[in-house]
Amino acid sequence: MQYIEFKNINKTYVSIRALKNISFTARAGEVCALVGENGAGKSTLLKILSGDIQPDSGSIFIDGKEKHFKSPQEAITSGISVIYQERQIVPFLTVAENVFMEELPIKKNQLIDFNKLNKCTQKIIDDFNLPIDPTDRVNDISVAYQQMVEIMKAYRRNSQIIAFDEPTSSLSDSEIDMLFKVIRKLKEEGKVIIYVSHRLKEIFQISETVVVLKDGVYIAKVETTKTSEQELIRYMIGRDLGDVFKSLRRNKNIGDVILEVKGVNSDRVSDISFKIHEGEILGFAGLVGAGRTETMRAIFGADILNSGEIWINNKHVRIKDPSSAIVEGLGLCPEDRSSEGVIKSRSVKENISISILKKICRQGFIDFKREENIIKNEVNNLGIKTPSLQTEIIELSGGNQQKVLLARWLVSNAKILILDEPTRGIDVGAKVEIYQLILDLASKGLGIIFISSELSEIIGLSDNIVVMREGRITGFLKGEEATEEKILTLAMLK
Amino acid sequence: MKKIIKKIQKNEQVSLIIILIAIVCVFTAIQPNYFSVRNLINILFSASIVGMVAFGETFLIIGGQIDLSPGAVAAFSGVLAAILLNAGVPMILTIFIVIAMAMLIGYLISLMINFLKMEPFIVTLAIMSVFTGLAFIIGGGRSIPITNKSFIYFGAGDIFGIPISIVIFAVIFVIFHIILTRTRFGRTVYMVGGNEAASRLAGINPKKIKTMLYLITPVMASIGGMILAGRMNSGQPTAQSHLMFGALTAAIVGGVRFGGGKGTLYGCLIGVLLLESFKNGIAVLNVQTFWQNVASGVLLIVALSADYARTARNK
Repeated sequence: MQYIEFKNINKTYVSIRALKNISFTARAGEVCALVGENGAGKSTLLKILSGDIQPDSGSIFIDGKEKHFKSPQEAITSGISVIYQERQIVPFLTVAENVFMEELPIKKNQLIDFNKLNKCTQKIIDDFNLPIDPTDRVNDISVAYQQMVEIMKAYRRNSQIIAFDEPTSSLSDSEIDMLFKVIRKLKEEGKVIIYVSHRLKEIFQISETVVVLKDGVYIAKVETTKTSEQELIRYMIGRDLGDVFKSLRRNKNIGDVILEVKGVNSDRVSDISFKIHEGEILGFAGLVGAGRTETMRAIFGADILNSGEIWINNKHVRIKDPSSAIVEGLGLCPEDRSSEGVIKSRSVKENISISILKKICRQGFIDFKREENIIKNEVNNLGIKTPSLQTEIIELSGGNQQKVLLARWLVSNAKILILDEPTRGIDVGAKVEIYQLILDLASKGLGIIFISSELSEIIGLSDNIVVMREGRITGFLKGEEATEEKILTLAMLK
Repeated sequence: MKKIIKKIQKNEQVSLIIILIAIVCVFTAIQPNYFSVRNLINILFSASIVGMVAFGETFLIIGGQIDLSPGAVAAFSGVLAAILLNAGVPMILTIFIVIAMAMLIGYLISLMINFLKMEPFIVTLAIMSVFTGLAFIIGGGRSIPITNKSFIYFGAGDIFGIPISIVIFAVIFVIFHIILTRTRFGRTVYMVGGNEAASRLAGINPKKIKTMLYLITPVMASIGGMILAGRMNSGQPTAQSHLMFGALTAAIVGGVRFGGGKGTLYGCLIGVLLLESFKNGIAVLNVQTFWQNVASGVLLIVALSADYARTARNK
């Protein structure tokens, strides 16, 4: 086993091109890091490597032999193991049972040969010099050792290509050291290591080469010793959407503070404080998992707030659940529109009026005329394209579904709107429409919290920008002084 | 013609009515007595008891929930009512106590689902077992005779030839239909069943809705159980083992989507009538009654396949 080559890999999801003609080579005995912004295509590439999904065109070559994996099993037989962020282990089984998962040694009488199983596992554990026992149950050991179990599984399969997806995201510093020792050992044994990570510091510690992807396109492959963090960041950024944003009508009137968050802590985020004014668009930038969604869920009462205060219009408010947040004038369009936003089996009308059921009811009975009037009005205002108000929301395009969710909060007279990735999965034309809509809402005096993983959007729309990393705010930027480089530096570097 | 067929395919209720009419026609052709007033009232009578529970299940299934316990609760209610009446408790008070007990069961179920995060399927399965057992225990395993005339009247009496239970059934249908289609509660049930997480983020309290939902089926089951006890002049612990299955089948056959968010009460009504006229037909033809079980099982599978096909198409 000498090398693995990706050649002209293409993959398109419904309307989004995830990978465009990706080609590069990774050699045995080297750690090849894969970096890029959110949505650059790293995960898609890993899924193709592991046989989880199939590319539309292009191939993978192992030592010059063309391979097409139709299933994860085929990839495994070809010597590929991918270690994902989410553990692929069975928590109730022992370390040994997990390591030998699909190849448990069996005695002549068809029963599992536990002696042999544990002995073989102990040998691998010794090879890696780990303080765990083959008979430990996997859910009793720490996350770092659970990861080791997966690595040992790959090692036991004699996988020649081992890919890691954000392996350090839940590890402490000493655990990272342990992981790196193991990775170096695998490298010395002549395996190809593909290492996907957001953390540039680590990439300089562990990798020999770095491949940069951007918007599904291969940008560069550089030797780690000959590059710098700043250079990598420069490769990752620079998308030209400037004209789109220049042509939008902007709001110039920023009013009083409408929402202030003081020292908010939840299980996922710590010490979050920020302010937003009437008519302001406050962008929240950061990498996936930086805690932006979690921050907003805590403020909105969807997750438990451990400590901290929320002030609306200079009044301290207590928000115990989403319904009390709505009473205080908040509205949230969630990140995952299809599982937390729309109610798929119901009509456009019902999806909007859900936020004002109290208002449109008299003694518990729905006033259908009133409902119809309010909804019709808002549907026209926002230009929602739907055959009728009775149409099931699922039949609408992504952009129009998003507008329905906006309408939900406009009819409820929300004063502060939290938009979490509002343009995700929406085609370019509809995106511009949503941008203008967001700006128009700001002009009406709403305070808008705008979370997006597309830096160009954040910079193009926001009056001010908050950058988060690992559950904390790492910086505030004024809209006019923000650049992709500055944001990424705050989002990625310690 | 093509247009009409397409419309029929689109409107599930219309196709169900056609199937219902076909069933009635076929059975009448084989056995003309099937279409006699007496037999039709018989069908309606058995439909009325399964139907009350089916209406409750319709609410639950639309709300994304399920209750497997109504059969057991109905049997328990019948026995409990008989014991109370025999002990000299006045009828009104008896009915009141039995319904209150049913509400308590429902409330307990909702507590376990909301706060202990248990699966509705498992909780209600356990409750079913508990009350199947209790129905035997409190009555000593025997059927308990009822002598209270007015209680018996509720089960066996009639107004102008129409059994009281059918009248109660009709009234409940109208009330439930209005609740489901015209009230805030009804609308909220659809929303929570359609997407619980999204409903919560839109300001609805799903726990509150679930609590209310789980009060409905036990109450319906207890009313059904008492009517049946009245009709049989006794509280019988074995009375209602098929009730839950019939109610679920009727709701699913009537187009209520298993998984929540969709369905109508009149769909369920047609489902109940379809199921009962079919079962009755088999009985009238003197086929072994065990075939009723086989037939309703097959019907449930057919209905679930249709439900699956609809959902798959919508994706």
